[in-house]
Amino acid sequence: MSREYAKAVIYKIADAVAGGEVVPIETAHISGVSYLTIGEIGIEFLEYLASGGAKVSVFTTANPAAVDIHGFLELDDRTKQGQRRVIKALVELGVNTTFTCAPYEFVLTRARTFHAWAESNAITYINTFRDAWSDKNPGPLALLSAIAGFVPKTQLYTLEGRRPTVLVKADLDSLDTLEAGVVGALIGEMIGTSIPYVKGIRLVHESSRREFAAALSTYSSIVFAVLEKITPNWEEYLRHADITDKIQISELDIKKYLRDVKTPDIIYLGCPFSDIETLMWVINEVKKRGPAKRPIYISTSPGVYSSLGGLVEEARRYNVVIFSGSCLVVSPHTKKYRIIATDSLKAIYYIPRMHGVDVVPCKKTQCIELAYA
Amino acid sequence: MLNPIVKGSGRVRAQVVKFSTPLSFLGDLDPESGKLGGVDVVDKIVFLPFVKGSTVGPYVLWGAAKRGKAPLAIVVEKPDLMLITACVLANIPLFQGRVEEDCIYLDLGVGTYEKCR
Repeated sequence: MSREYAKAVIYKIADAVAGGEVVPIETAHISGVSYLTIGEIGIEFLEYLASGGAKVSVFTTANPAAVDIHGFLELDDRTKQGQRRVIKALVELGVNTTFTCAPYEFVLTRARTFHAWAESNAITYINTFRDAWSDKNPGPLALLSAIAGFVPKTQLYTLEGRRPTVLVKADLDSLDTLEAGVVGALIGEMIGTSIPYVKGIRLVHESSRREFAAALSTYSSIVFAVLEKITPNWEEYLRHADITDKIQISELDIKKYLRDVKTPDIIYLGCPFSDIETLMWVINEVKKRGPAKRPIYISTSPGVYSSLGGLVEEARRYNVVIFSGSCLVVSPHTKKYRIIATDSLKAIYYIPRMHGVDVVPCKKTQCIELAYA
Repeated sequence: MLNPIVKGSGRVRAQVVKFSTPLSFLGDLDPESGKLGGVDVVDKIVFLPFVKGSTVGPYVLWGAAKRGKAPLAIVVEKPDLMLITACVLANIPLFQGRVEEDCIYLDLGVGTYEKCR
């Protein structure tokens, strides 16, 4: 019954946006699973689907929740209970409850396969760094597509609809995490909705790739960029490109974008979720210096968290709080602070809007300095 | 003539509630009272330039419809995938275009309309 409902909804949406056409999907990733963002009404919808016996028909992952898996974040009982109901409904629907905003870490989407993902950073990551295709699906649409097994065939599910139209010229070597985020945000703000073809940037570290994808999609409605010599099949995209506009980004643009740093209450890294390389780097830095004066919060995926083993406890002794399955964008815990310093442009955008907390940018090394200032 | 995006059926006579700025269903729509931006929109036609904000929006419109507190139809200048998803879930006809009148007869299937007499 419920799969029929999901199929009917997807077909009706496809009628409105894709001439009635749909494409089968290999995986789905849903957003809107934090009690903070969906509230009672979101739970009501998830429970409505679950009580009708709906089950996802493809492998489906979920975004971070309001509550972290090991309970490091302090939360009120209402949030904890609400989140438990969300999790129960998701389990009944067959959704994998490894709450992460970086599902691409373990869902190894292949080039030219179709996916119904919500969560803009993750969509942008697989489109840009894997040439695996997903449009920016609202949370409920991704969930219903997961149940139906197909998604409306919107433009980004066609080669024609993925043609780059704006040339972005840069000469920026090996961008660190914050700089990669600034470049993503600048491209997003300058071109808004088109697909960029980007020449002349290097993203050596995984954290820079994640941050670029997150910032680009936070500061615009763009979820796909062709990066020369980086995006799989970039030569084919270049052949198909229909460039109508050109922009340039320089090191000066990056510098202008960054404000002065105020002294924060805490440092926050891991938006999108931190990769193992970054975590090991932070742990090594604090071990050299001794316990930090201000706490360093780092959110990561449950998978990376468990691979750290005893290092999580050891890091705690240095005032580094590693937590998984949640993040400071979607957890009400964030309201406890006045000023947060971070290397994430996405956190800089959302935390003030969602929690009224001031957020200041820092490069990774500078973030560590601030923890000892 | 309005362009039907999510079609309904039948002809209705309803008041039009017009907004000049974009609204977000999450935060601006109270699914318990049916007030959008503080204005009662239950069984009325809502006109606004476009919707903005959280992708949780569709849940809120669905919740309002389930409680019988939703608008009869929505008219926007710029529809997007989130609004379309919201309207399909909530079973609310959606049209693209502009409405200047305060009260219209609207054909929910094809989008033709005329001013109330």
